[in-house]
Amino acid sequence: MSAARAEIAALQGALAAEDSAVYGYGVAGAHLTGARRAAALRNWVAHENARDALTGMLAARGAQPVAAAAAYQLPFPVHGAGAAVSLATVLEDRLCAAYLGLVGLANPALRAFGARAARTAALRAAAWRGSTLAFPGLNLPAPVRAAAPAAAGSAAR
Amino acid sequence: MARDTTRRRVLAAATAALPLALAGCRGIAALGSPPKPAADVTVASDAIAVERQLIARYGAVLAAVPGLAPTLRPLLAQHHAHLALLRRRLIVPHGGQPLPAPRVTAGGRAPAPGTPGAALGYLRDAEDAAAAALLAHLAAAPPSLAQLLASISASEATHALILGTAARQR
Repeated sequence: MSAARAEIAALQGALAAEDSAVYGYGVAGAHLTGARRAAALRNWVAHENARDALTGMLAARGAQPVAAAAAYQLPFPVHGAGAAVSLATVLEDRLCAAYLGLVGLANPALRAFGARAARTAALRAAAWRGSTLAFPGLNLPAPVRAAAPAAAGSAAR
Repeated sequence: MARDTTRRRVLAAATAALPLALAGCRGIAALGSPPKPAADVTVASDAIAVERQLIARYGAVLAAVPGLAPTLRPLLAQHHAHLALLRRRLIVPHGGQPLPAPRVTAGGRAPAPGTPGAALGYLRDAEDAAAAALLAHLAAAPPSLAQLLASISASEATHALILGTAARQR
């Protein structure tokens, strides 16, 4: 893969993770109250901003930003505050992984950008989790879309 | 038969000595300078030095303020995990040269603070410094090592967060 295509693929991966985070924080925030609801709202806004920034970076490279899905398959049912906090944690873990994808590029500016964003995601995950990971963002699965194309993809398998 | 074996031995010895004899003709320069370590070796060995220094600081604090063990042990365990994975990134050739000395500035020699609040602040600052030191190598590292450094640096930033929170609760 050429360097430009690798950059676009990694940016699209980060954008997809931000899109699923915007969706997921909408779900999580609805089950939270008080300070945790305020934190979820703050993070939701931050992820919308990050999504816009990534969209701009892709457009600057002449790439069509991948469109957000209408809904994303949640990793587990979210019916209460405990599951909402777990969901927010998973979303940030996945973001950390997606931004490490940018750190794997040759472009030093994108490496630095990815490292900063991975750090931010790891800090948010640790705040939700109340504990830390030795290797945030390494060996984590990508978000799964709940929409029809995902089903079509698995049927084609 | 016995004479034949002896002749083969002599031939083998002469062949083995040939490179040495040739090198002798050109003097010490024939041996060349030792190869410079690759960028990833330098980066990994510097990162290992950063982790070892952090582990030493945790050890000093745990000795001075044992009551902090419940907070510090899980973080220290993660530093040992960092160190183990970084060491696996270093492939030392069989019978090869020892690693170049780590290029880490001294400064880890200051005694650990004796009060819990000061000790937590001391380690929080050490974690922040280590997180920054690892990112300083980001551009020089091959891709997968850069990702590992960024992940470990992010882990250390979260350690600083936990330590800062614990310090404020005292």
